[in-house]
Amino acid sequence: MNNWIISIKNLLHKPLYAFLSIFSLSISVGLLLGIQQLDTSIQNQFTNTLGNIEMVVGAKGSPLQLVLSSVLHIDNPTGNVKYSEVEKLKKNPLIKKAVPISYGDNFKGYRIVGSTLEFAKIYDAQLLKGKEVENSMEVVLGNNVAQKLNLEIGDTFISSHGLTENAIEEHKQSFKVVGIYKPTYKVIDKLIVTNLSSIWDVHHHEEEEEEEVHEAHEHPTQKHEDKEVTSILVSFRNPMGLMTMPRNINVNSNMQAALPKYELDRLFRFTGVGVKAISWIAYIILLISCITIFISLYKMVKERSFDLALMRTYGASNFQLFRIIAFEGIVIVFISLFFGFLFAQLGLYFIVTLFKSQFQQDIILTYSIKQMLNNILIVILIAMVSILFAIFPLLKMNISKILSDEK
Amino acid sequence: MVQTNNLTFKYNNKEAVFQFPNITLQEQESLLILGKSGIGKTTLLHLLAGLLQPTSGSVVIDELDINALSHSQLDNFRGQNIGLVFQKSHAITSLSVYDNLKARLFFSKKNINRTEIDILLEQLDLTNTKYSTINELSEGQLQRLGIAMAVIHGPKIILADEPTSSLDNENCSIVMHLLQQQAQKNKANLIVITHDARITSSFKNVLTL
Repeated sequence: MNNWIISIKNLLHKPLYAFLSIFSLSISVGLLLGIQQLDTSIQNQFTNTLGNIEMVVGAKGSPLQLVLSSVLHIDNPTGNVKYSEVEKLKKNPLIKKAVPISYGDNFKGYRIVGSTLEFAKIYDAQLLKGKEVENSMEVVLGNNVAQKLNLEIGDTFISSHGLTENAIEEHKQSFKVVGIYKPTYKVIDKLIVTNLSSIWDVHHHEEEEEEEVHEAHEHPTQKHEDKEVTSILVSFRNPMGLMTMPRNINVNSNMQAALPKYELDRLFRFTGVGVKAISWIAYIILLISCITIFISLYKMVKERSFDLALMRTYGASNFQLFRIIAFEGIVIVFISLFFGFLFAQLGLYFIVTLFKSQFQQDIILTYSIKQMLNNILIVILIAMVSILFAIFPLLKMNISKILSDEK
Repeated sequence: MVQTNNLTFKYNNKEAVFQFPNITLQEQESLLILGKSGIGKTTLLHLLAGLLQPTSGSVVIDELDINALSHSQLDNFRGQNIGLVFQKSHAITSLSVYDNLKARLFFSKKNINRTEIDILLEQLDLTNTKYSTINELSEGQLQRLGIAMAVIHGPKIILADEPTSSLDNENCSIVMHLLQQQAQKNKANLIVITHDARITSSFKNVLTL
């Protein structure tokens, strides 16, 4: 027999009180840990996906839309820009890299992105098998795509027009899989990567058919300068480029330049309001659950005052009674922390699965140990205060009076 | 040995001051303290148990002035040397009969083996209720458990507060027999306070307040 056993048996004696306290505290701990971990994970994931893309240049429109569509691949593009602009940007001494991307087609919901070999390097994507794209109509699959669609090297498929799966607007030419990337846990995992010629070829053929032009195909020799791309992913040689180029492009051209970091920060500020709201709800539930702990322990001290007085006659010191009741609170807090953490992980698992099915994007759950410890400390601190308040009446307990009154 | 010297006690919210006659009990002696309600019987018992601090005077047990002890020393002393029996017996409601006895020993910092607990339970006819919860016990079983809790740790003094007041004649003599038997077994002083004159014949020493 020891103080812990007595505390646990006391808790089990009033299982409803214990359950209510543990349940409400677990929910608040789960919400707190879950929402903050999710927020951190999504921010890390998005920031990670940026790679070294410092600026995106595309057709005029919403800068956030441009970033979401061209960097995170979760929105529709704002339009197209001339390929000649890519060459112009490449020649600018402030620019280190200008990677054109062109997209607008999909295969079973997975975007087909035409670009150069530089595109894979942005995401440090390495080949798992096969080779990089060398010719038109060859593709390398992001790892998720290969897994989900069960495609292998040598397989062929026909793409559809648009960014969502449909069987109506299928193109005529087929793509051939020549490589599969290793998983990167970045946006490239959910993309089908090809070269720009493939995109242009698919659309050029169809334009020809629509116009009923039966002349010999001239696209292999057609100059790139006449073509269009969706956007250009840019990185700078030095900070001067970041300071001057976006404004220059926005003012002096018919294109727009968007800064992914800035736009994502803006996005996080919007979503941050939701995160803060949920965090506040969690803090309120935490407060309520600590009040529940206080009430149940306080009620226990009052209802079982004769039990406690008896323990004093058995030789227990006031401090020992303090410990027995405090242990009950501590057991509740630690069980709640455990279940709260479990709730958070279960909730996050479902959210991540949902995110993956909606956006075909894996999210790696990352912890901010500091943030988690802060939350745990806050929970323990508030719970301890409520425990102390609950056991305060013990200080004023008059054993003689309690024993006489109960007689 | 139990000795009281010029004990007085005054409750904070009351004018009256209780003045108690001196008591001297040699080893294994028993004492019955008789008195009407409100005369201060329970107050005297609580002074003897160290649950109240006297306004003046002292309680000496085995040459130790218990009123000179610190709070923690007094808790220790009470836990190891005193056993209390109440009119309406109580035990820790969240624990079984057996766990109550183990808790009693734990608080007293005494260790006895399982067999000795079983023997005591058998003596008090509580063997069948060993793992019962307190709520499952009858009044008589609860009363016997109260006695077990008061003697399990081998106290030097057993203090009983109106142990027979609510009992019929048969149960009254059973409880008194058990108390005296356990006091004898533990070589302890037995002090019973009551207004129940039925038990007067069980005691050589009777003090009327």
